[in-house]
Amino acid sequence: MIRNLYVLYGIIVLGTLATAEYRGWSLNSVDEVKNVPRSVRDNPGSYRSVYGYYHHYTGGK
Amino acid sequence: MSASGPNPPGTPQVKSLNCPGCGAAITLRSFSQAVTVVCDHCHSILDAQDPRLAILQKFQAAVDEDPPLIPLGTRGTIRGAAYEVVGFQRRTIHVDGVPYSWHEYVLFNPYKGFRYLTEYNGHWNDTSILRSLPTVNDNVSPATVTYLGETYKLFQTTKAGTSFVLGEFPWQVRVGEAADVSDYISPPRVISSERTGKEITWSMGEYIAGRDIWKAFSLQGNPPEAVGVYENQPSPLSADTTALWLAFVGFLVALVVMFIAFESFARNEQVIQGFYSFNTSVRGEASFVTDVFPLRGHTSDLELTTTSDVNNNWIYLSYALINQDTGQAYDFGREVSYYHGYDSDGSWTEGGHTDSVAIPSVPPGNYYLRVEPESDFGHGTISYSISAKRDVPQASFFGIALLALLVPAGLITWRSMNFEHLRWAESDYAPAGSDDDDSGGANRPISLGNLFGKGSDS
Repeated sequence: MIRNLYVLYGIIVLGTLATAEYRGWSLNSVDEVKNVPRSVRDNPGSYRSVYGYYHHYTGGK
Repeated sequence: MSASGPNPPGTPQVKSLNCPGCGAAITLRSFSQAVTVVCDHCHSILDAQDPRLAILQKFQAAVDEDPPLIPLGTRGTIRGAAYEVVGFQRRTIHVDGVPYSWHEYVLFNPYKGFRYLTEYNGHWNDTSILRSLPTVNDNVSPATVTYLGETYKLFQTTKAGTSFVLGEFPWQVRVGEAADVSDYISPPRVISSERTGKEITWSMGEYIAGRDIWKAFSLQGNPPEAVGVYENQPSPLSADTTALWLAFVGFLVALVVMFIAFESFARNEQVIQGFYSFNTSVRGEASFVTDVFPLRGHTSDLELTTTSDVNNNWIYLSYALINQDTGQAYDFGREVSYYHGYDSDGSWTEGGHTDSVAIPSVPPGNYYLRVEPESDFGHGTISYSISAKRDVPQASFFGIALLALLVPAGLITWRSMNFEHLRWAESDYAPAGSDDDDSGGANRPISLGNLFGKGSDS
């Protein structure tokens, strides 16, 4: 019984893995933005990234 | 087991007699097969083979002190045969001066003879006398017996005494009589030997759930809850652990094959590479866009790598991967920083020159990157490069899958080992470091196998 459940679980794990690799899943997160205007190509500064204006910690060791 | 049915054809009627001690009515259910019968009024043990029911022993006991859970006279079906409960006894051992008792029920079928049920702390065994002798091997520790090709390990040896009797018995039962009992286990079965003088009786018990007993005898209510792990209680997991690890090995092979396959067949196609520089001493808009590049094939990831020659410095890049046709953008930021130095501990470094990120599930299309570099002002020019590859296998998922397969197998094995540890902790062969007292006296899985003295099956 436990073995059958484990085999089923393992098949699901491997199936999920195959899907993740084929569909290109990633552990990294990105923000998706819809309807970016075409004008960005001509005026890159018009685009405001949520990741802009980064405040970096420069402590080092 | 199933619910009790009608009596088999030809079942003789019970025989009624009177106790010579108190005159109370005595019911003989097993007829000439009973060797002793106990008067439940005056607790006289009577010779059932004697037409005058000679008194063999009298003992003091309060019947309500320990009433049988299955009343005498109750009928039920076990292994397809109808049985009636005809006798009940309590057996007791003493460990460090503490008494531990269990109950034994004598069952009778006029065609099948006697069989027994034992109960301790909610753990039940269906027991019958062995018809042939097992082979004993004392040259190993713990000793073993072999019966019908199955090996049983010695669990414990103890001296058990009879402390209360009721009903009929196919042997000369006496309150106070003691026997040396040894239990050999191979869950869910147990083989017990009971030695009285020079006589040894062997019996075999098989663990049975209390609810099955209740169902078989159509008893009201619920059976007592099983407490602790009993000596021959089957582990809900142990039988599966070997098969489980075999399945794990199978999955491991599949995992390796999948890894090789994905590494071999992934496109791993470089779609863009560019070299740039960022002058930190110039104020103003630093963002720019790359050329448009196509992403082909099915939806898959895009691995973007940033490399920079930063030296005790950092560069942060706000990225937007923008689909030129749909206006869909993937927004993210990455940093490359590298510091090094020397202090009292010696030389040290922190960070690196390269950073990679996998952008998940990017559909095919024509894309460009909008890049906006940042760094501290006035640190000169920082050179960096950006490259992106389409459809790159992510090794981290294989690691996660391996962990996901390993953890449940490990947990189940650990639970199984823990179950066996609890079982053997109460035996004469407890593993080093286990302590009988830890589980409490109430859980002690004392011998209840099959201490039926001189009784023998028909």
